[in-house]
Amino acid sequence: MPIIVKTHNAGSGEWAIIELQGDLEVRSNQSMNDQFIGDLYYNKYGQPILIIGHHILQGREQKLEKPFAVLEKSKTNEGHQLLNTTDAMLEASTMNVTEGAERTLLDDTVALEHKSRQRTEYTVRAICSKKLIFKSRPKPIIANVAKTV
Amino acid sequence: MDMEVDENAPQHYVRTAEDVKAIVRHAKMDERQLTQLTQALYYPSANVVSDNLRLLELDEHMLQQIRTGQTLHFKGGLHEKVVLCTDERTYDVKGAEISNSLLLVPDLKFAAATSTSPLKSPRTGNANTSLERSLNDSADDDLEVPRTLEQRQVLTIFHEYFECREIRPRYRKLGELLQLTRYSGPENEYCIERKLLFSFQQLLNTVQCSRAQFVEGLHQYRALEFDGHIRILDYEYEYRIITLMLGLISENSWALDEVEREETIYALQGIAPEPIVAGLFDIYTKPSDRCPNKFKYQESLVARIVAQNILQPGLRFRNDEFMATWQEALPEGMSCKIEYLRGLGILDKEGAQPCVRSLAEEQLPSNINDRMRALFKTKRKWTLEEMEPYIDCFTTPALSVSTLLAKHARSLTEAGTRYFVSKH
Repeated sequence: MPIIVKTHNAGSGEWAIIELQGDLEVRSNQSMNDQFIGDLYYNKYGQPILIIGHHILQGREQKLEKPFAVLEKSKTNEGHQLLNTTDAMLEASTMNVTEGAERTLLDDTVALEHKSRQRTEYTVRAICSKKLIFKSRPKPIIANVAKTV
Repeated sequence: MDMEVDENAPQHYVRTAEDVKAIVRHAKMDERQLTQLTQALYYPSANVVSDNLRLLELDEHMLQQIRTGQTLHFKGGLHEKVVLCTDERTYDVKGAEISNSLLLVPDLKFAAATSTSPLKSPRTGNANTSLERSLNDSADDDLEVPRTLEQRQVLTIFHEYFECREIRPRYRKLGELLQLTRYSGPENEYCIERKLLFSFQQLLNTVQCSRAQFVEGLHQYRALEFDGHIRILDYEYEYRIITLMLGLISENSWALDEVEREETIYALQGIAPEPIVAGLFDIYTKPSDRCPNKFKYQESLVARIVAQNILQPGLRFRNDEFMATWQEALPEGMSCKIEYLRGLGILDKEGAQPCVRSLAEEQLPSNINDRMRALFKTKRKWTLEEMEPYIDCFTTPALSVSTLLAKHARSLTEAGTRYFVSKH
């Protein structure tokens, strides 16, 4: 059975993507869930400025040539986890409960009769059509030198 | 989205307006040059299962389908690469890994939404005289707008997204499945493995193409619905029924575009089941342009089934003999054309006598390399037009027959004609 991607009320959500060159990394191994990353500002010309720790990044707003849809798995196939593409393929074919014997093209379809059902479902949560891209190297923020020198 | 901060987790730092003021000063940014809103970003929450989220790159058509609330389908069997289908088109789906991080932020405001006054165009800003600029700036000075702070949580961070490339519908499986249960009359139904009979929906679910393409594919295979299952007919059986149907034209002295549907179905009662006759009629005819409620057989389809009956697999005929036999077997007023043999047979001019030989597209390997080998084994050199019917199924909107041939064959020109020969 095909995996359904539902799209209703997807037209409304418009989410943003912030693209950073490389990765956000922290020194310690602590979990970063819910931790503060940084501040995002825009100058009067609309240029985004991101301050992360002691780094300042200047970026720009860009329309995505090909927009992204954000798909969220809305139903799982009984605890079956979707991890990556190859899994997506496996999911699509869980209908084939084959027993390791010689498989031919037919197995795929004969198994249709066995009616094992595909329950995984995705929902389009939002569309992203613009991003903020930060391509340049982060610049360090240098603290003011003490005035007394 | 309002930041959902767990009150019971004081270890999580929450940005305050004072912190923002301090960092603006610290970074030596001119606050007057910034829009009023600061958005503080936070790492994703532990509750988000990032594996359940995917970024899918869209083209115009897919975007429009999503916007109008159409459902999309991922389809693929055990040994098939998954495809994504809209109602009309089919796409190959491929994961693309990237070294950049894509932070997905719901409800993030873009620049225009953070400023009460229109954004300045960068060009005027840079190129213009400092006079205008200072005028603007001093105007901004007067109304000191307080800085606002909003909290935004990143939903997840992606290092991968899915790319889609439009591909041709993959009908092969449809053909192979239907092949197994060819219908050849009620008396032979006991030979048919019931397990291999499929309904429209079952086939649609498994064949890697969109719904619209599926309907088109059924038409190409001349499939019809019988007893709740999609069937194609045994060639000889189909030929027999069609011949009987065509016979009614002269029997009733109909003009070619005066064929009557009800009369045809009635005349074949007891010879073949009604759904088969009606199904075949609808596949083989088009409404008549001239007479309302009358029909006309499509010459190409009639000529093909007749040719198929003559040109059995493995056979070859002298060209002139073949064409004469073929023409003879057609109803008066229809004529045979070599292009009707598309994908059924080829005209081989290499020998002393030009001959027509059977070469069924559906029986060739489905892998392009194997197919090329098979084709060049059948015939040494081909023109582009000759190869096209056998290569067409591998083309995509971006990959034409010529591109494929450039990759998989060698071209040479003999007496002004361009031929393709085996690469090896």
